[in-house]
Amino acid sequence: MTSHWPRILRRGRMEAAAIVIIAAGVFMLLQPFSMSLYTYSFVTTLSGTALFTVVSKFPE
Amino acid sequence: MTSAICAHSVVEPSGRSKSIAGSLVVVYALLSMLPLFWIFLTAFKSPPDSIAYPPKVIFKPTMDGYCGLFSTISRQTPEYIASLPPPTSICDKVARARNMVVAGPSNFLPRFVNSLVIAFGSTALSVLLGVMAAYAFSRFRVPGKDDLLFFILSTRMMPPIAVAIPVYLMYRWLGLSDTRSGMILLYTAVNVSLSVWLLKGFIDEIPREYEEAALVDGYTRLQAFRKIVLPQAATGIVATAIFCLIFAWNEYAFAVLLTSGQAQTTPPFIPFIIGEGGQDWPAVAAATTLFLVPILGFTVLLRKNLLRGITFGAVRK
Amino acid sequence: MSETTVPLTIAEHAARATPDAVARQVRGLSDRAIAWLFISPTILLLLAINIFPLVWTVRLSFTNFRANRPNAKILGVGIDNYVSVLTDPDVWAAMQSTAHFLFWTILLQTALGFALAWLVDRRFKSHGFWTTVILVPMMLSPAVVGNFWTFLYQPQIGLWNYAVQFLTGIPAASFSMIGSVKLARWAIVVVDTWMWTPYVMLICLAGLRSIPGYIYEAAEVDRASPWRQFWTITVPMALPFIMLAVLFRGIENFKMFDMVNLLTNGGPGSTTEVASITLKREAFEKWRTGYSSAFAIILFVTVFGLANIYVKALNRVKSR
Repeated sequence: MTSHWPRILRRGRMEAAAIVIIAAGVFMLLQPFSMSLYTYSFVTTLSGTALFTVVSKFPE
Repeated sequence: MTSAICAHSVVEPSGRSKSIAGSLVVVYALLSMLPLFWIFLTAFKSPPDSIAYPPKVIFKPTMDGYCGLFSTISRQTPEYIASLPPPTSICDKVARARNMVVAGPSNFLPRFVNSLVIAFGSTALSVLLGVMAAYAFSRFRVPGKDDLLFFILSTRMMPPIAVAIPVYLMYRWLGLSDTRSGMILLYTAVNVSLSVWLLKGFIDEIPREYEEAALVDGYTRLQAFRKIVLPQAATGIVATAIFCLIFAWNEYAFAVLLTSGQAQTTPPFIPFIIGEGGQDWPAVAAATTLFLVPILGFTVLLRKNLLRGITFGAVRK
Repeated sequence: MSETTVPLTIAEHAARATPDAVARQVRGLSDRAIAWLFISPTILLLLAINIFPLVWTVRLSFTNFRANRPNAKILGVGIDNYVSVLTDPDVWAAMQSTAHFLFWTILLQTALGFALAWLVDRRFKSHGFWTTVILVPMMLSPAVVGNFWTFLYQPQIGLWNYAVQFLTGIPAASFSMIGSVKLARWAIVVVDTWMWTPYVMLICLAGLRSIPGYIYEAAEVDRASPWRQFWTITVPMALPFIMLAVLFRGIENFKMFDMVNLLTNGGPGSTTEVASITLKREAFEKWRTGYSSAFAIILFVTVFGLANIYVKALNRVKSR
């Protein structure tokens, strides 16, 4: 089953990507530098979390 | 080599490095206990002593704090006090020395009883629900098990204030606001996640062979659960119960937003113990002491299982 | 016991061969029924008290509803509430207060907690007793702790101010930890560090104890200096545990409410107004229910995202 699954979409990598996106969202929410980064923080965290939930169902 | 037996470090630390480490840790421990010790002392001070400068370490202990906590007092003229019959209790005596009389009991005792009822009620419920769910997760193939377990844990991570808005509306609508049963349900919902995760760890450790032998002997699953698994998990159940008890006992956010009188617990009540001109510090300190003492006992009881409790059963030492 | 009995030898035989299959054949309720019977009460309770309110919050976050005017007409406002929370400079300021609190508490607690764990791991005499003593603050009620620290922080009469005067010579009456705009942010950091350093210590201690001795033995054979052993073995091997502690403290302090509410209540001004305090003001003082629901969802999604990472970290530590 895993052989048909594209390598780039393996669970480990995608989870790592999702974690990076969530962390970026949290940083954007808390940083004091730019208002527009703050404004788009929620969308970033939300998409990271959604991605994490989806890819955690992918095969290893 | 003897060092090979040693659990983790080849060279057993030398005597000197041990005693330096030991003394640093003891200094930290004593410093971190200082605030608690101070509160304990303050509870036995008279109101003027409690706000003396420089802070008094040596003072004449009084019962002002505890009396102020359990009773309400009011100021009277010396003539009126002289006309009263002799004092019947220690609190009468303490109050009259300051030209006050005891007017009646304070609200502290009912709040304390609320705390007890709500903490024990929610603990019993969450351990009951938890042990059942944990057994099922531990022993049976449940479809979507990992997702369900994550769902259960994630409910504990919710910020209480975020949940409080709709719960406030829902409780108002159901007539559950400011009732003990409402608070018990709410705390059960928060605690059940910890209870399931912790108990699953404990039940996972009980060998399946015991139950299988019992099943072979003609026990039903339920009988095996009751007569084999429950007794084996007793220590785990007690540890879990204490964790739930501590959470429910300490909880503040839901209590302050959802209760106002009837079902109010101790933590939101303590800041409102006021005397003449601001907080009555000896009484506040007395309340704090009484509220914290059970926790000290529980900490000692739990020390072997603390690590499990704070990592949802993941780290077992 | 019930009326029929399975012949023992056959059952024993079967048990040895396929224990699971036997389990499914025993009398009484089927395993599947028991599993659902045992799990569903928990799920139902969580659905009623956690998920239903959450869904309700999502719905409210798209309206202009105000809980103190239940009879006013409720209008859908689309994502306006989200836009106004995310463009509100006051909320942004609250997020920065939260960031200050998070950054310093996590930094101090990790440094102190790891150092303490390392010291306790020297296994000096009666280290068990002193570890238990150190653990006490984290078991206490954050609200009650916040309340009694206001007493310790009183200018002049407070123990904290007196200790500062004793150690540094700054007069105790000359500053107020809670009343001053500059110091209040540090007042909450100090209390949180006092309370939760033991938590980090306990987890780090587990990390240190999980490092197998043979690794140090090998390093000893290679003549690695203790300093090098510390940085190449101790820290990397304990890192998953440190991460676990940092993540959990991060999540908890991100939603910090009780201790700060009683210690400073967000004051003076709004210098210590962390996210949950702002949320409380919007929801239960200004009664902007729709707006605060959107705010609550933003906080919730952030915590949920972090919780995903936390559970991953938990599983990593579990496999050790």
